Formats: sequence, structure tokens, C-alpha cells
Amino acid sequence: MPPRVQSFKILYTIELTPSNTLKQRQRSRIESMKCTVSWLQQFTSTDGFTTAQLADRLTMLGLEVDSVEELFTALDFFITAKVVTVTKHPDADKLTLCQVDTGSDLIQVVCGAPNVRPGMISPLALPGTILPDGTKIKKAKVRGVESCGMLCSARELGLSTDHGGIMELDERLQPGQPLRQALQLVDAVIEVDLTPNRPDCASVRGIAREISSFTGTALKPLVGQVTQLSGNDTGFSVTIEEPELCPRYAARRLTGFRIGPSPEWMQQRLAAVGMRPINNIVDITNYVMLESGQPLHAFDFDTLKGQAIVVRKPKSTEKELVTLDGNSRILEADTLLICDAERPVALAGVMGGLNSEITEQTSTLLLESACFDPISIRRTARRLGLPSEASYRFERGVDPDLADKALQRAVDLMVELTGAKADPDGHDQYPGKKPLLTVALRMKRLKTLLGMDISEDEVVRMLSSIGFELTLKASGQFEVLVPSFRVDIEREIDLVEEVARLVGFDTIPATQPLIRMDSPLEDPMRKLCREIGSNLTSQGFYEAINYSFVVPTHHDMVGLAADDHRRHAVRLLNPLNEEQSVLRTLLLPGLLENIERNSSFQHTDIRLYETGKIFISRELGKLPEERMQLCAVMSGLRYPKAEPIHFSGQKSEFADIKGALTQLLWRLGYPFNQATGLSLENATGTQPPYCKAGVCLAIHAGSQVIGYLGAVDTSVLKAFSVKQAVYFFEIDLEYLVHIPRVEKYFSGLARYPATSRDISLVVPEQLAAGELLESVRAQKQKYVEAAQLFDVYRGEPLAQGEKSVSLSITYRSSNATLDDATVDKIHNKIVQALMLQFNARYRKGLDV
Amino acid sequence: METQLRALQQEALDALEQTTDSASLELFRVSYLGRKGGRLTAILRQLGSAAPEDRPRLGQLANEIKADIERLFDERLQLFGSGTDSSRPQPVDLSLPGRYLPFGSLHPITQVMGEICAIFEGLGFAVAEGPDVESDYYNFEALNIPQHHPARDMHDTFYVTDSILLRTHTSPMQARIMEKQDPPLRYISPGKVYRCDSDITHTPMFHQVEGFLVDRDVSFADLKGVLTSFSQRMFQRDLALRFRPSFFPFTEPSAEVDIACVICNGKGCRVCKQTGWLEILGSGLIDPEVLTQVGYDPDIYSGFAFGMGVERIAMLKYGIDDIRLYYENDLRFLSQF
Repeated sequence: MPPRVQSFKILYTIELTPSNTLKQRQRSRIESMKCTVSWLQQFTSTDGFTTAQLADRLTMLGLEVDSVEELFTALDFFITAKVVTVTKHPDADKLTLCQVDTGSDLIQVVCGAPNVRPGMISPLALPGTILPDGTKIKKAKVRGVESCGMLCSARELGLSTDHGGIMELDERLQPGQPLRQALQLVDAVIEVDLTPNRPDCASVRGIAREISSFTGTALKPLVGQVTQLSGNDTGFSVTIEEPELCPRYAARRLTGFRIGPSPEWMQQRLAAVGMRPINNIVDITNYVMLESGQPLHAFDFDTLKGQAIVVRKPKSTEKELVTLDGNSRILEADTLLICDAERPVALAGVMGGLNSEITEQTSTLLLESACFDPISIRRTARRLGLPSEASYRFERGVDPDLADKALQRAVDLMVELTGAKADPDGHDQYPGKKPLLTVALRMKRLKTLLGMDISEDEVVRMLSSIGFELTLKASGQFEVLVPSFRVDIEREIDLVEEVARLVGFDTIPATQPLIRMDSPLEDPMRKLCREIGSNLTSQGFYEAINYSFVVPTHHDMVGLAADDHRRHAVRLLNPLNEEQSVLRTLLLPGLLENIERNSSFQHTDIRLYETGKIFISRELGKLPEERMQLCAVMSGLRYPKAEPIHFSGQKSEFADIKGALTQLLWRLGYPFNQATGLSLENATGTQPPYCKAGVCLAIHAGSQVIGYLGAVDTSVLKAFSVKQAVYFFEIDLEYLVHIPRVEKYFSGLARYPATSRDISLVVPEQLAAGELLESVRAQKQKYVEAAQLFDVYRGEPLAQGEKSVSLSITYRSSNATLDDATVDKIHNKIVQALMLQFNARYRKGLDV
Repeated sequence: METQLRALQQEALDALEQTTDSASLELFRVSYLGRKGGRLTAILRQLGSAAPEDRPRLGQLANEIKADIERLFDERLQLFGSGTDSSRPQPVDLSLPGRYLPFGSLHPITQVMGEICAIFEGLGFAVAEGPDVESDYYNFEALNIPQHHPARDMHDTFYVTDSILLRTHTSPMQARIMEKQDPPLRYISPGKVYRCDSDITHTPMFHQVEGFLVDRDVSFADLKGVLTSFSQRMFQRDLALRFRPSFFPFTEPSAEVDIACVICNGKGCRVCKQTGWLEILGSGLIDPEVLTQVGYDPDIYSGFAFGMGVERIAMLKYGIDDIRLYYENDLRFLSQF
């Protein structure tokens, strides 16, 4: 098998350059178009504009210039020099000694070029210059004679492959000028970020058209004369079976070409815009596509069975096509194909087939210039994961009127550059030809939407400058003829946008809208979350934000039961990775991961909270249930980051998290009382699986459990590699937000002093101390203002299984100072009742 | 009683005179002024048993004597300097660190999002938050992004099913609100959004604030006015602003708003890629197609919409250089805000 020339797969599979900026956030994956200023100048004059000015104007027209790269900057290090005298090298036949005028100096240079002669102007590299190939020029002795620089060939400058001698420059040039300036090799690559609505600017000429709108110079045509193709005497046939999907198909046959490298100017332009030169045939199709926006494809004509091109969908027997890259592609019923008389030879507009590829043996080629339906191309390119320069353009809309002109341009270049001969006739079938669209534009609406005044003359001038034709139909109303290349313009608003960008967004004034005042209510959930944040941060908690998607193993790590509804997680079809593949159904795992991460950086004293949504899957086709949750965690020292001189090493414990929760709810207007129905209940036996048995309270709203509070279970900590105790609380805010808050209401300040009495009782160990307080409150004795626990004692001289609980009870009357007798009487009653109720006794032999 | 008092006074003053150091001074304090066995204290306690008519006079005298002794005692105390006496005022070491209770802070994203919302709420905008998991219809179709529209390339979408996805922007609220209410409308919609993309400048989840205003004859000039007010308040200086044509499927004309680079003041630096400008939000007049779909007559009503990435604004405000830091919840990061 003969070695294949590198094929058209380059044409069809080059990945478009994604612009790599932060803005992808808002407009991700925008493709860019590169062109050189000199290439633009082929189509319009840029006189009077620097490259920076061009870039700025394009940006302000909506063609955001992503970068400007000056070309030939390496040449700035070379200067023009005049050879004054040439004498033979004393020790080498092929070398000469030259006295060279650098404009400021006369220096001696040893030269080996055969063409060096006195009077010539040539590029000179002085010591210190780095050649494009990396060689550094130094002052050196060549065969015993000092050489203070190097006269250079075009190849040494990286300008061409010519190494026949040193470059001969125009003898009128002054010595001592920087070479780039002297040769006027001032060019730059402009990279434009393209928005999807502007396929017309995915071409050098399209960008030139935009430039002509502000330079006022005419846009030059792509080609001079276009040969009319009749299709009568072509030696091949073209049949479009799917005119809806292929509005136009033009093709022409060429013979007699010699495949080889394309000329240097073409290679340089392609390289400058990031496309690797391959050979003259490939380069010309790529070059014309970049220049005009029309993708082209070339077939080896002799491989086409029956000398036929058929544009159709696959037959039921056609299951796959091997494309240029050697991969077999599955065909679907709606894949648009280019076929010969028998079989598919290309995926239309996406990639050619291997069976019709151009090789070194190819003697006749068929050049295709066609227009395809954007959606059909997009579907195929998507499905096969084959985005290409061609499919990019077809997906967004190629000007159907362009096919014949681009074909002519490519044919002209092939004739000129490869020695090809084109058949005098070819095919140009245009079943989808439509009259140009006309769109009405009302001056009044235009002015209203822009918010500024603008004259009819100005509108005509601006829109005409980019190819629109305007006719005044009635007073203040234009009929606008839309050029075929502007596939994005269909409605009046599209024209409003054109006027807006042409007049310049910066000339539109900035005004404030006149609108009725309104005072919208704040969403209660938003308010609640804001207040939670304000309270918890004042209690030392930092707010965390974790990803909504998590690893599914979290469910096992926190020990959810098989039938736990929180296992009904929403799964993503296309997660980035398994670690982020399901939506979270609880917040705690994220915070445990945060603790683990912080401890691994020696940050072990942690208070974190998060308010965020969890997602519970519902039946298929329905959006999941989203519930706002609050989770807070506490671990390590009670006073994180505190100075050790003040707070030494006290660890957070259950009471700390309980206090944090109690204060939070109380300050938000949700005290634990009958008004709110909120209470904390012992959850022993019913605690969630991630909560340590015996260290868990349930937060109740009446009979509804709305959250939990406790210590994270040791096995869960282990699963998350957390090596220290963690206390947490979690609340389902969807419940809390509906509980009416206790409104703030003033109560009068006490005017009479309070009296307090302490009591220590010995009770059985299993009695919860809180029950004593509860009982004091429940007795509802007169004057009792408050009851507080102040000590719990175990040990000598108490017996095993006993503890002493000390309470302080405060008494106060609102209308008198209580005397001791009154207080003692009530206090005694309370104490008697406690002893009776809890089988308690006075604590003896110990100081209180 | 009076004699007793006078004698004690003399005795005490003599004893005080003889103290030589802080230790002997402490002995004096215990024997005369001490709360339990102090002789002066004891005699003062006896005042209660004096004849009622003598009590005021004796009380005054006793107090004078006590004050006199205490004053002299304090003088001696100053003289002998620091001792072991705990009742004496200790000098305060002003260099010791202050004592504070633990404190925390809101996540920088919450802070910046709150700031953005506050500015718009001040302009009368209401806040509405929508679901994170959204239908294809509200995320795309209702916003003039039909199936197979190339603009879908701009959104790397996470899908749950063919028709359910994680919202790629907070713009779906536009359609959800306009469906239910009539103009005039002013809303902002903050929230989490998702795109499948992850590197130093992209996280798969991030935050946006979307806003829109619809009424009769709302113009592009109005959009410029409102967003200029916002940007200048947000960045708190009279900084240069530019509106640049762009493309979004649900607005037309569309504009991106750039502010003069806050790092280099517009001179050109690495952050602004030498352009002197930083893009902060996208905006535009709401496309008539979007208005038509919710039943508004686009010949009567018009409006503008805008959206901004909160992470990006926070990065510019605080100089954060790696977007991933936002979701690691490292306390060394969180505690800086």
C-alpha cells in the first residue's frame, strides 16, 4: 500500500481553540477565530488604524478580541547593514572578510555566502542576537580572524527555507534600521472570540466586513469572475435526495495537479492562525475556508463508484462508515451522508470517508462546496463527538450564496499553485434557494428600545455599511433587505441590535427607568437563613458552603438504613466523577469532610455550619423535593484560637452544642415552650444512625421531629477519618420556617429585690437532673421566678449509684420585698415535694 | 466608749508607725482592721449597744478614726510596695492579650451575594429563589434556547434525565415569575448554578445573581443606568465602566459589562490580560421571544435582564486567585473574611 499523504482529517477534525478565560463562567466554550492584519487588508483597507485600535473597535462591535500577537517580533533584533568592502579570508577559500556599515559603526564580519558583494544591503545579527532556531550570535574568531556579527540568509531569519546565500535587501534602505521596520513586516494575529450568532465572522472576510463598517472603505470581493456551472457536461452526476438538509451542492473536478508543499506565504498565514500546513491541496481547502467561511471537501474522484454524488440518508443496510481518522462511525437513520452511486463516502459537513480519501496516487479530485442544514450537522457532530472547523460553521449557518464563490476561489488557487486544470463545467444545484429576507424596522420602536434619538439617515448609513439595503416604506418605517450571510437576522429586534452596536453602546445614554415604587416582602426562608447566619457567626461558627453533589457512599458512611428515604438521592446522568455523582440528602457528611480536611492542616478546633438544600428524589419525570436544612458542627477546643493564658484546653462537649442551639432558637423567637410547641426530647433508641446512642436529643415541634442534636457516632467519625469527638445539630428549616415566632413583647422591670435559696438533694444516679428543675417549674408555686442547677456531685461520701444535685431557686414578688418567713415557707414546700417525688434526701456532711 | 476609741486610735497609730515591711503591715491589718479578729472592727460592732442618744456622735467619731487609720495604712502600703497581700490592687499587665469569645463569619460568597442583593433591593427589586434542579423548559426552552441551538454549547449541563437538569444559570426564574405576574416587575434571583467543568478557574457549582426589570418602554439606556449605579456601588469607587456588545439567546441587544481593572486601574496587568478591563456581568434587553412565550406583548412591554457570577466578583474584590478555595471550607480561608 502506498504511503498516504496526510489527509483531510486535519480539515475536518481540528479542535477549535476554546478561549481560556474566566468568562467561560458566563459564556463557556466560545470558539475563536484568528486572522492576521495583512490577511484582513486583502479585503479592506485598515489605513489610519493601528492594530490596537482595530482590536478595540472590533471588541466594541461585539467581536471581542481575545488577544493580539505581533508577528516577526524576532526580527526586531536584526538590523539592516551595508557591505562596504569584501576581501578574501587569509586562511579559508570559501570565506570572506567584510567591512560592514551598521549605521553607527564599521565592523568586521566573516561571511561564507557566495553572493556577498560590496554595496549590498543585508540583514545583520550583532553579538547577543538569538536566531529563531535558538543559536546565540557571539563575537568569535573564525579561522583566526575576528568576526563581530553575522550576515543572515532568509532561512536563518525564519522567513523562508531559502539558504542559497545571505538575503539581498533593497539597496535604497538605510543601514542600521531594525529589520522588521525596514522590511515593513509589521503584522499581527488578532484572535476574536466568536459568539454563536455570528458565523459570518468565522472568516477573514467576515471580520474585514465589520472593519469596513468603521473605516468607510469598501469590502473587496472574494473572487473576480465566477464560472457559471451548468452541470450539463461534467462527467459526473450530483443528486440531492434531501433538499431540506442540503439546500445547495456545488462540485468541480480537477486534474493535473502536483501534490507538494504550498507556497511559503500560504504556509505562513496558516501557521500564524494556528493551522498546520499539510500539502498544497489540503492547505488550499483550509485557506479558503478560513478566508471565506465556506468549508470545502475534496474526494479522490476515481474512488467514486458510478461517477456519482448522492446526498441522502443511509439505507437500512448501511450501518457504518469508516472516516478519515480510521474510526468506524455508526450511522443513524437521520445522519446526512454524501454517497457515490453505491455507498457512503462522507458524513456530510462533518468528516470525509476513508474510502474516498486523497492519496499521493490521486490524479483527479472532486472539490465539494455545499451548504447543509445546521441542526442535522449539529446532531451528527454531537453524537459522534466530532466537532470540527467545518461542523462548527455548518451548525451555526453558512451563507448558501457563498458556495459557488468559495469553490471558484479554491479552484483558482489550485490552478495557480498546483498546476491543476479545472473542468470547464461542474455542478451547482441550489434547490434551497430563497429570496432574501426583508424585515420591517420602525424608527419609533428603535428609539424607544435604545432610549436615544437617532436619525433615519444615520440608520441607513450604518446598516448599509455592513451589507443591508434599506427602503423607506412609510414615514418612520424601513423595509430592510437582509444579506444572505447574516443568517442571524430575522426580526426587527435583530436590526435594533445591529443599530445599537454600530452606533456604539458607549454613545447610548445611561438613564434610570421610571417605575412605580414597590416594597416587596422578604421571603421568610431567606430571612430565616440570614438570621441564622448572623446568630451562629456571633457564636463562633464559620459558614461553610459544600457542593450539592456528593459521593453516593456517604449514605453507607453515615449508616443510613436500607429503607431510609435519604437513600433516594438524585443521580446525575453525566457526573464529572463518582465523587460528585449524586445530590446530597443530608448536610452532615460535607461538614465532617470539612473537619477532616481542617484537622489535616492542624486546625482541630472547629465550629462550622451550613444552610443549604438537600434533594430527595420523587417519581420519575418530577423535579426532586428540595428542602432547606441547617447543620452545625463543633469539635476540638471550646474557645478556638483563644489565647491559652485565658482559656486553657477546655474541650467542646455536649453542653456546648446544646447551648448553641438553645441560644440560636431563643434569639430567633423560637424558645422551647408551649407557645412555639418546640421542645427537646430524649431520643435514646430513636436516634439517627449517625448519632451516638445516649448522646442525642430530638428537636420536636409538637409531635413532629424537625431535627437532632448530639454527638456524632464513633463509627461515622471513623468512616470520615475524623479523629476527635464531634457534636452537631441539624434542623429541617422547611418545618421551622412555618412555626410562628414568639413576638417580642415588653414586660415590666422588677422593682423589688429577689431572694434565693439553695438546696442540695441526693438522688439516684439514673434520675436526669433536669427533671428536678422541671418539677420545680411544674409545681407553679407562688413567687418562683427561676430555678437553676449549679452543681452535680458524685463520690465520697455518697454511695455508689447516688449523686447530689444542687439547685438555686429565686423568689420575687412584683409588689413587695419578700420576708424570710414567706420565702422559707414556699421553699420548704418545694423541697418536700421534690423529696417525695424523687425519693431524694438532704445532702449531709458536705459544704454546699 | 469614747475613751476606748481614743486609746485604740493612739495605739493603732503607734503600731502602724512601727511597721517596717509589708509582712508586719499585714500583721497590723489583721489585728486592727481584720474582718474577724480586728480590734477596730470589734469596737465598731459594739456601737449598737451604746445609748441611743450617743450613737450618732460615737458613730461619726469611730468612722473618722477608722478613715484616719486606713489612710495611714494605705500610705505605708504604698511605701512598702508589693507584698503577698491579695487585697492590695495588683498592677495590670497591659501587654497581655485580650480575652475574647469565639467568633465566626459568613462565607465570602454569602457576604458578596448579600452585598449585591442589598444594592438591588435598595432599588426596589424583590428577591426570588428558584429550584436548583430545573426542567429543560425553564432553563432553556423558555429562554429562547431550543434543543439543538448552538448556544447550548455555552452551558455544560449536568442532566438528571433528558428533561430535568441542574440549572446552568439562575435565569429560569425570569420565565417562572413572568408566567405568574404582570409587569411592572423587578426581581433578582440569587442562587447556586451548575456546569460540568472543573479547573483552577471553574468549579462545577458556583453562584449567580440574576435580575430583570419589565415595564412599558424600558430601554437599553435604562439598563445602562441601573447597571452603572450597581457597579459603582459594588466596587465603591467612581470607576470606569464599559458596555460591550455580546450574545445571549434570551436578550437582544446583549451587552457585557466591563469595569476598569481593579488591580491595575486600567493600565493592563495579568489579571485583566493586559486589556485594562474586567468583565463582571452579562446583560441585555429581554428578547421579545421570551416575553411572547409568557404572554406579554413585546410591542408594549420591554425589559432588561442581567446576570453575574458571584465567585468572580468576590475574587476581584478580595484578590482570591483559586476558585476551588471557596468549597474546601478551610478555616484558614474562611477566617480571612
